[in-house]
Amino acid sequence: VIRVTVDGRELDVEPGTTVLEAARRAGAAVPTLCFDDRLRPFGACRVCLVAAGDGAADDPVVASCTTPCRDGLVVRTGDERAVRTAAAVVELVLSELPRRPAPHTELAAVARALGVRATRWPGATHAERRDTRHPYLALQHELCISCGRCVRACDEVQGTFALTATGRGFSANVTAGIDQGFRESACVSCGACADTCPTDAITELSLLEIAAAGEHDVRTDA
Amino acid sequence: VWGIDHSTAGGGVSRGGNRQTAARVSQNLVHLARTARAPGDPTAVELLAAAVRERGELTDDDIRATAAATGLPEATVHGVATFYDDLLVPRGRRHVRVCTGTACFAQTAGAHEVAVATGLGLDPGSRTSDGAVSLAETVCLGFCHSAPAIRDGDLVDAGPGAVARVLAGAAEQAPEPPARSLLDEPALTVAGDWSGLRAVLGAGLSPEDLLAEVDAADLRGRGGAWFPAGRKWAFVRAAPPGPRHVVVNGDEGDPGSYIDKHLMERSPALLLEGMALAGYAVGASSGHILVRSEYPRSRPALEAAIDAARADGLLGEDILGSGFAFDVRVVDGAGSYVVGEETALLACLQGLRGTVSARPPFPATSGLFGEPTLVHNVETLANVPVIAGRGAAAYRALSPDGTSAGSKLVCFNACFERPGVVEVPFGLTVRELCEEVAGGVRSGRTLRAVQIGGPLGGILPASLFDTPFDAQPLAAHGCMVGHGSILGIDEGTDMRELARHLLAFGAHESCGTCFPCRIGLQRAHEEFASGAPVDRVRLEALLEALELGSLCAHGGGMPAPIRSLLAHFPDELGLAP
Repeated sequence: VIRVTVDGRELDVEPGTTVLEAARRAGAAVPTLCFDDRLRPFGACRVCLVAAGDGAADDPVVASCTTPCRDGLVVRTGDERAVRTAAAVVELVLSELPRRPAPHTELAAVARALGVRATRWPGATHAERRDTRHPYLALQHELCISCGRCVRACDEVQGTFALTATGRGFSANVTAGIDQGFRESACVSCGACADTCPTDAITELSLLEIAAAGEHDVRTDA
Repeated sequence: VWGIDHSTAGGGVSRGGNRQTAARVSQNLVHLARTARAPGDPTAVELLAAAVRERGELTDDDIRATAAATGLPEATVHGVATFYDDLLVPRGRRHVRVCTGTACFAQTAGAHEVAVATGLGLDPGSRTSDGAVSLAETVCLGFCHSAPAIRDGDLVDAGPGAVARVLAGAAEQAPEPPARSLLDEPALTVAGDWSGLRAVLGAGLSPEDLLAEVDAADLRGRGGAWFPAGRKWAFVRAAPPGPRHVVVNGDEGDPGSYIDKHLMERSPALLLEGMALAGYAVGASSGHILVRSEYPRSRPALEAAIDAARADGLLGEDILGSGFAFDVRVVDGAGSYVVGEETALLACLQGLRGTVSARPPFPATSGLFGEPTLVHNVETLANVPVIAGRGAAAYRALSPDGTSAGSKLVCFNACFERPGVVEVPFGLTVRELCEEVAGGVRSGRTLRAVQIGGPLGGILPASLFDTPFDAQPLAAHGCMVGHGSILGIDEGTDMRELARHLLAFGAHESCGTCFPCRIGLQRAHEEFASGAPVDRVRLEALLEALELGSLCAHGGGMPAPIRSLLAHFPDELGLAP
């Protein structure tokens, strides 16, 4: 057992516990986007940043989900640099989408939690591309933020490998099979990808139709 | 320039833990990549690249065939096919690649790119309708000593007249750069004679003793992170029993650098000897060199040296009768700068998308095929034979006036009078390197700044040229030794255009894994490319997010040259008032 301090509170954790797990056990609210506790930590979104070290003001800023605890570690979830950077990242995420995320999505909730109401960034957004060939799974490529949760759920939960990350840099996205839609891919229609998606990029087709019917509400209430 | 110092990666919080906390590349895919193939089989990346070479572009059937041959899922192979530059650009029967590296940019301000595109009547990334000719951009061909460089097939033409010759269909192979050493007894500008390995095995030196010697020599990682090699070796040596690997990062993607190219092509035996010594010390019997596809001459040179070493009993089973076994294979890259980062490098070697993974686990415990792996840059391993042959004390004495041990290869771009590869001791000033070693800039020009060590290195203005060329003094000015390239920027370069050029490279090469880099470099590039005044407050907030938030040194390092330009040339960047 090792002892760590989170926001002034000491607690004992098993070796191998991540800083995020310790922080949550201590009751701290650390936002995440690419994290899903059913999947192995990925460390891509950089929204779960905290300061972790010896307790100095200039302790390193780290991604809490991929950083293991060590004995004596002092974690500050409210470190100004960490929170400022997490908010800057979420602002960047909003800037890549052609429309605001629906209010019920995890992305919208994280933006609210970090006080990010809008983006200051003009520039390119993802092109609208909607794949509705599957009877009940829809893929809206323009809402993909490349968190990798769907690809990892397909791999680690379902063991199917029907999904893959595609492209690189700003063009990164996801697709099913050889970009052939869920139906023609190895997909077994388990829905794990839609369940974990934080933006509705992969969602149930019926929900998409409901959202389209109430589109006015979705767009105005971020 | 790659890698993050192990002591700071993960914030220096912990290196251990009793369970694997982070998902490297999917362990399920790694298992498939390992089990479905025999050692030495081509990777999925190599199979796809071969299909592009043969047929000009990839079809779904190529994806399916590659999936069947490698045991990887079809979706996974599709993901690979959309990642690497070489797999994305259609090829004609004649494939022309124009270098868009920083040395070529500094030489022509991009005019050679326009001239080639106009002359061929093709946009970069396109092919004539009859399939005869295609044009691609490439970064970088490693002919920075003779910029601009254009590759026509496997022929690289460079320097004055190159554009005209290529357009006339009369490309000529450009001369390779001259190489020399300022040392009385050169350590790195030698072909390599295996005397270090012979000395170690002949004297019956134990692996532990060799490791201790490398540790005492204070050899630091030459890929840019400057991590103590001895400590890295000790991590791998301490791994549980089982197969281990030595992996060489031959993906010298840093525009402006041609040091590893020089070593792989002119001193391949020196590299192989360094690999064998490292393998002996850490208990590895297999070596792997990932060579970037932008260097068409590197793989043949390495393979010839491997064949010669096998014939001489210096690679293979029972080397020199010692019982030590070690062999080496060469694997092709397919166009990705970030594959120079160690976790991305390992992914590429396994045929997967060259994306960066969070650490831990570090390659020393879970690397190639999930097995303990020592990953080094080419030049780092090329330093090992001299340590083994002459000893740690002699190695440290190579730089009497420096704070770093050993010597360093540097290279200069074409704006200097005497460009080429030079072995130097640490501690010379940047001014001495530029004016005395490289002979100053070509007549009539004025050197305004140098970018040292690659695209993630800071830019040092002429007013600071008395800074010693050494790790700590350069760091004080936001610069680094990095890969050792010294890229002169004269008055012909527009500094705002330079910022745009560097960020275009950064955005194009982002692997797309971490959000700050994936989106932030796109936004930073747009900030300079739009033509509108640059919002400095917003830009500096973005640079901080990149520095603090990025997963690897690519996003974390791209702000360095931009911060240099903001500090030293603010009036030339078109900043909003």
